[in-house]
Amino acid sequence: MEVSKNRFKTLSEPVKQFGGLVGIIILIFITFFVLNNIFGEGDELVAKMKIEEERIAEERKLNKLISSLPSGVLVSFDGTDNFKLSDELYEAVCKATKLIPQRAIMGANFLNFRAHEIYTINGNKIDETFVKWDDEKNKCFAGFVVSGNNVGVDETVKVSGEALSFLSTGIDTRVYFIKNF
Amino acid sequence: MKKLVFCILFYLLASSIAQARSTGCKEGNCDNGYGKWVYTDKTTYEGEWVATKKHGQGTETWPNGYIYKGEFKQSQWNGIGILFFPDGSTYEGEWANGFMNGEGTFTWSDGKQKKGIWKNGSLQE
Repeated sequence: MEVSKNRFKTLSEPVKQFGGLVGIIILIFITFFVLNNIFGEGDELVAKMKIEEERIAEERKLNKLISSLPSGVLVSFDGTDNFKLSDELYEAVCKATKLIPQRAIMGANFLNFRAHEIYTINGNKIDETFVKWDDEKNKCFAGFVVSGNNVGVDETVKVSGEALSFLSTGIDTRVYFIKNF
Repeated sequence: MKKLVFCILFYLLASSIAQARSTGCKEGNCDNGYGKWVYTDKTTYEGEWVATKKHGQGTETWPNGYIYKGEFKQSQWNGIGILFFPDGSTYEGEWANGFMNGEGTFTWSDGKQKKGIWKNGSLQE
């Protein structure tokens, strides 16, 4: 120990400073390694960030596409004067759409009286809405869930069907017709 | 800053006036008689009115493509009427309380038909 101390004293000042610098760098690396092991999520965090980045990129792409669509009614079927969506656009619009306005819900309720009753009793309140693209069927499905107390009985009714038309406002798109028959 | 606040207030006032002017009774008499009413969501009703209620023959057009032509009672679809769905499907027949109730025929856009007695939107087997 004494010998080591004497050897250190005999070293020149620049060598001592360099050694100190290397020591501090090693200490910083060790500290970060320990902290990362304790608090860091490592690969999991990187994977999450990648997914989030992909989601943002996809959203930007869809927003760009939506802003390029004409304002008004967009349909996926023939026989109307409205803008007819191509298969590719239909899928993209479906994936970008989140809103279902009241008239689309009321229209779907014509074929589901129980849903209409709960919807009316609850003051037009909807528990949940969904718009999903089905890869297997190559179709867009949309729907909603209503729940409430109907004549003393707690009921939950899910209404779903093929989303065949949309409204483009220039800012967003909305499901305009749910074919549930 | 004051100019910006003034501009925002002016815009809000102007848009609310424009909105108010585009809705309500646009043609005829919507109290007693024949008139056209436009709702805030662009739904329209054109037909007969009795005591400010839709009553008699009329046509209600929803902005998403549903069109009902037929009888109304107390503002509800009641009597004989035809509903056109946005995809071209139709229901023609009897209505009560805003639903398919009674004898009627549902025709899909591809021509397929279901005929019979309906109760609250469901065909009774």
